[in-house]
Amino acid sequence: MKPGAISRALLLVALAVIPAAGEAVLFRDKISWRSRIPASEIVDLDLVRSWGPAVMWIDARPEDQYQKDHIPGAIALNEDRWNELLPQFLGQWAPDRKVVVYCSTQSCNLAGDVARRLRDEVQLKQVFVLEGGWEEWQKRKK
Amino acid sequence: MGRSLARMPTSVRTRIWRKKYKVLATIPTVKAIHVISAAVSVLLPLAARADLKWEQTTLELNPAVAEKQAVGHFKYQNTGDAPVRIKSVKASCGCTTAQTQKNEVAPGEKGEITATFNIGDRSGQQVKTVNVETDDPKHPTTVLTLKTNIAQVLELTPNFVFWQSGEEAQPKTVLAKVGKDMPITNLDVTSMSPQFEAKVEKGPAAGQFRINIKPKDTKTTAFTTVTVKTDFPKDAPKVFYITARVTGPAAAAVTPAVPVAVASPSPEN
Repeated sequence: MKPGAISRALLLVALAVIPAAGEAVLFRDKISWRSRIPASEIVDLDLVRSWGPAVMWIDARPEDQYQKDHIPGAIALNEDRWNELLPQFLGQWAPDRKVVVYCSTQSCNLAGDVARRLRDEVQLKQVFVLEGGWEEWQKRKK
Repeated sequence: MGRSLARMPTSVRTRIWRKKYKVLATIPTVKAIHVISAAVSVLLPLAARADLKWEQTTLELNPAVAEKQAVGHFKYQNTGDAPVRIKSVKASCGCTTAQTQKNEVAPGEKGEITATFNIGDRSGQQVKTVNVETDDPKHPTTVLTLKTNIAQVLELTPNFVFWQSGEEAQPKTVLAKVGKDMPITNLDVTSMSPQFEAKVEKGPAAGQFRINIKPKDTKTTAFTTVTVKTDFPKDAPKVFYITARVTGPAAAAVTPAVPVAVASPSPEN
């Protein structure tokens, strides 16, 4: 390759990087792939399945989506009716069970918000968020 | 070269053009044009301005304690010279709805997109987004951000206490912290089940209370919801909930004894 072509390619890359870097700095909170959930609290479906029956599923999606379909045994718990739904969940919780929260997709924040409240307000320790959410469950259930 | 270029066979013409182009490409001016045109192709979309100009793409709202919804108005104007069609308006969360006044915005016309956030049982700062898709090729998508600061009236830590079957029936304490600038002076605490006792006392600092909850015994599984009622706002006091349980042996669950009581929190909550 000619040296001229390399320098032209580098110039184009540099020009493309300037707006990208600006967007990453100025609009950081608008980037959908940026997760607010710590990596240690995100679990994949294979790991959850390996935990067996010790798992309690929490569906953090809006009520209508839960009513339509949900992971078998999952309990609805969302922030729209937190005060009403939380006691129902706690009535079934047991100290030795792991809680796995899910919402619609990888990018939705509802599961992270519910998991955070379970950890901070309810002070449960074993609370996790399912990677990929309901979408991933649907893909893998076959 | 006696023959004109047009009369030559295609293969010969192609060879001649290739040769000519190679010569041209070696001239520094032509190289510079290549680089400039490539740069312009990158920079041109950045310099272009959307026809639909937004007054603000981020709004911050501070609803009053009794409010159930927070409504944001995102205003725009079509500053271009062609109509803009709003193809879709989608909120990031089921708790937010977004509506557009019009689907087509004529040049010079103004309008707004209304985003309504249902507060529900949320607290703290809530950030929700609305994606607006238009047929403007330069800015096909605009993200509108609605930040809602929901005042924390009372913070209960933790809002769940439990005893394992056979454990000593000692009282467990929930710390209630009054939110900033909330004129709460008293809490009314009641257990829904007679299996538990709940008492309130002044806490370690101003604006704090201790709520002590104790089961009558831990021989059998039990469940209750403790209601915590504030004396503010006077006309619509807020109600908060603490769940208390005596759990059975590991992995056993108990059905809430008072589902009706917790199924319909008071309307002021």
